[in-house]
Amino acid sequence: MNKNHALELLQKMIGEDKTFRPGQWEAIEAVAVKKQRALVVQRTGWGKSLVYFIATKLLREQNAGLTLLISPLLSLMRNQVEMATKIGLSAYSINSANRNEWDDIENALLKDECDIILISPERLNNEYFLKKVLPSISGQIGLFVVDEAHCISDWGHDFRPDYRRIVRILQLLPKGLPVLGTTATANDRVVKDVQLQLGPDLHVYRGPLARESLRLQNLYLAKKSERLAWLAGNLNKFKGSGIVYCSTVADVEQVAEWLQSNGYQAEAYHAGKDGEMDRVALEQAFINNEIRILVATVALGMGFDKPDIEFVVHFQKPGSVVAYYQQVGRAGRALNKSYGILLNGIEDDNIQNYFIDTAFPSEDVFLDILHALEKSEGLSMAELMSEVNTSNSMAEKALKILELEGAVQQTNEDRKIYFRTVNPWEVNREQIKRIQTLRREELAQMQDYVSHTGCLMQFLLGALDDYDSKPCGRCANCQGKGFTTELNPDLLCKAEHFLKSIEIPITPRKRFPAGLLLDQKIIIPPEWQNADGRSLSFYGHAGWGEMVQAGKYVDDYFSDDLVNAAAQLIKNSWTPDPFPAWICSIPSLSRPKLVSGFAKRLSKELDIPYMPVLHRVRETEEQKMMQNSFMQAKNVLDTLHIDSQIPSGPVLLVDDIIDSGWTLTMAGYLLRKNGSGLVYPFTLAKASKRSL
Amino acid sequence: MSITQDSQAILLLCSYLGIYASSEVKPLNLRQWNSLARRLQDLSMRPGDLLGLSVAEIQEKLSVSADEAHRYSGLLARSGILAIELERLNSSGIQVLTRADDDYPAKYRERLKESAPSVLFFAGEKALLGQPGIAVVGSRNLNETGAEAAEFVGNTCGVSGLVLYSGGARGVDTISMRAALQVRGTSVGVIADSLEKAIRDPENRFAIQRGDLCLVTPYSPNTPFSIGNAMGRNKLIYTLADYALIVASDVGKGGTWAGATEALKAKWLPVFVLKHELMPEGNNKLLENGGLAFPYPPPVDPMILKDWLKEEAGKIKPKAEQLSFF
Repeated sequence: MNKNHALELLQKMIGEDKTFRPGQWEAIEAVAVKKQRALVVQRTGWGKSLVYFIATKLLREQNAGLTLLISPLLSLMRNQVEMATKIGLSAYSINSANRNEWDDIENALLKDECDIILISPERLNNEYFLKKVLPSISGQIGLFVVDEAHCISDWGHDFRPDYRRIVRILQLLPKGLPVLGTTATANDRVVKDVQLQLGPDLHVYRGPLARESLRLQNLYLAKKSERLAWLAGNLNKFKGSGIVYCSTVADVEQVAEWLQSNGYQAEAYHAGKDGEMDRVALEQAFINNEIRILVATVALGMGFDKPDIEFVVHFQKPGSVVAYYQQVGRAGRALNKSYGILLNGIEDDNIQNYFIDTAFPSEDVFLDILHALEKSEGLSMAELMSEVNTSNSMAEKALKILELEGAVQQTNEDRKIYFRTVNPWEVNREQIKRIQTLRREELAQMQDYVSHTGCLMQFLLGALDDYDSKPCGRCANCQGKGFTTELNPDLLCKAEHFLKSIEIPITPRKRFPAGLLLDQKIIIPPEWQNADGRSLSFYGHAGWGEMVQAGKYVDDYFSDDLVNAAAQLIKNSWTPDPFPAWICSIPSLSRPKLVSGFAKRLSKELDIPYMPVLHRVRETEEQKMMQNSFMQAKNVLDTLHIDSQIPSGPVLLVDDIIDSGWTLTMAGYLLRKNGSGLVYPFTLAKASKRSL
Repeated sequence: MSITQDSQAILLLCSYLGIYASSEVKPLNLRQWNSLARRLQDLSMRPGDLLGLSVAEIQEKLSVSADEAHRYSGLLARSGILAIELERLNSSGIQVLTRADDDYPAKYRERLKESAPSVLFFAGEKALLGQPGIAVVGSRNLNETGAEAAEFVGNTCGVSGLVLYSGGARGVDTISMRAALQVRGTSVGVIADSLEKAIRDPENRFAIQRGDLCLVTPYSPNTPFSIGNAMGRNKLIYTLADYALIVASDVGKGGTWAGATEALKAKWLPVFVLKHELMPEGNNKLLENGGLAFPYPPPVDPMILKDWLKEEAGKIKPKAEQLSFF
């Protein structure tokens, strides 16, 4: 077995005239011949999959077991599978979308006819994998490949708790069983950390990370509507396909819809709920150029390999330079010219700060879950949720961390339950704090990137400790020219209209419930009705909605992130006209500071005075406990009292959650009746039937 | 949680971890392992030296048949799968001890010699394994006096600092164990099945988390109950303890009878038998067969039970010759 044989394999896969790139054979030799542990740090498109394909082939020729490829990818790309087939390797993936193939895969495993099996890190802890797949691997495991190995390190930009399990497994492997880690985005500190965790005998193979064809540019457009208009006006300048990255699922859906309405062939791509989105099919359609633009969250993940992507445009600034390098690096792998354009706007930092703040559940959530589990032999998710006051997604996050840290395990014997293990557990406050600090530093570095005036590629490579790079000569800063921020005014107008139409409106009620006030007509006189209002979010939904929920029931405080988001919405997209001259809020006796505190901070952001003119004479039941309109409206009216002297200007009327809308309707009625101007209701969230 | 290369090799060769219905290889039984271990020792090799060897190398180094080398190699090749299974066990709080580990219970080595199990799975405080203590055994069905006595001995162990060794089964085992733990004493349960499930029980879990309990088994943590395994682990209860107390036994049948008879014959330790008016017939027979009488109501104050046991045991000449009691 020698380099020549390996070269033959390489040529069979990618062409007679091809030879090894520097580092490829060395990495193959380390794992397949010397049975060592190796880490390959090379740019995407360098050919890391060639390394593990050839290594697998050589190991199989030595009667070794199959290769277990652990990757956040859903499956190998079709072209990769074809390459593997050319040297007689059969590769399979197991994911939740290919259940219909599982029986065949088990059969292939039993007959030792599978050479490479791809699974996600999560699957290592999955009942089906442990009970069905592992027992079927009759030919044993000959090589562990850990894709995106930088996720091992909590010093990295993309630390994934699931990778901790991989590390523990690798630490339990004896000598002589080779391990190959691959990544395109590991700086010195991450490499060192991976080495620390996988053992000092980890051999590192690093190459230059520069992307030869990529033209980078940053454009600042404060408002969402401006960036939408830019997209609609500029994406048609590209002939080929591309990706538009957004920071949130909601933005992905909006942008995709906007592009579609402007005649673009665009589709939304995100992790979705319960795997309802057929991501594999979308990826494949995109690769086949049946979809021209994929509007995606980071769920369009690592390792996604389409060689002819002409542009990667970011709708918002990502959280770190390394993440940006990785995402923009999807462009132009096999093109001479490609574009990486980073739009950034006013809301970017808010979103990223929100991600940082909510990356870890609060300590109480962890403790509540453990407390509930400790009393029992095991609880289902539904049973657990009845004892823990947090959102489903936060509980799931906490459970995942608890599982990975050995405090909780799940089993599926009779039904799926979580149970407390005997292992001791404490909140790792230091690690959480350290990771949060790191994320803030990364965000600050990202800000440095968008305001950088030198070579942009060099900046990215510097962040990855690739110090040998020279100015690229291609980016907008090197060239001194690029796309402009000039916008077509018609498109801008259209975009503004589009955004308004998808905000969450509060529609004013026009009638009292029958029988409420004997001396009133049923219709609310128009001059005493509220004006149109807005809600920031759907209560409990991912994004602001989740934060509102945490603020209301966990922290008893609505964060500054929410204040900023509300101010942005009111000032930049809603822009009620005439603009409110003062603010008041719906009072509460039981939690007097929650909403009023928020409203006060909001008043500072909006630079208008806060006037607490409404008072509760006694506490009401929560509106959601009221079963019908009559009860709801009566409930408000009986308990609300208003000062006799109130300002006459238009007023922003603030509450946390709108359920029936009666509270705001009745409070607005009182305000108008006592001499205020227009009443604009605003709430942090709108209750959805699902969550309340 | 890490594991030495030697332990790794023993686990691969001797345990059922990562062996499934579909597996072609079967792990070595104790006799087979002993013979391989002797071979390794003769060659000045460690079990870990076998890792990473090819079939031909194993055959050559150990001078064994091709079939045998093939079998060893097949067992050792499952290290990848074993690592995944082992990680899952560790995450639930279950760890492993092999005969190659320094902290493998010395009492098993001394008393059981080559019958000492090659692999133990445990959850909890392993330092308890072999600390001075009393093995309390008895059948699942027992009368009121038996239950009282089981509780008394459990409490006594607890307050006097002796480990209560038990089989973790229903009846005497559970009553005495619970009694020991209730007074913040310590206990070791040598169980014959389902360690994975046993540690989910809140009572067990709390005791393990406090460091008061260690559950240990020579069988895979997901093994279901079987009479054979239950019988096979009896000696592992006795051989960790300094004294045994049979609370209630049938005659000529059942695990208690078999285990007590085995212990009396092997003379690992002084075996006391609960003696009272309503005791079952098995107790009587065991007393006739060499068991020492432990009168109930208790002969002495709980706090000086340890001294009383020592004194009583000393009265019997042959027992006094036994090594390593105190």
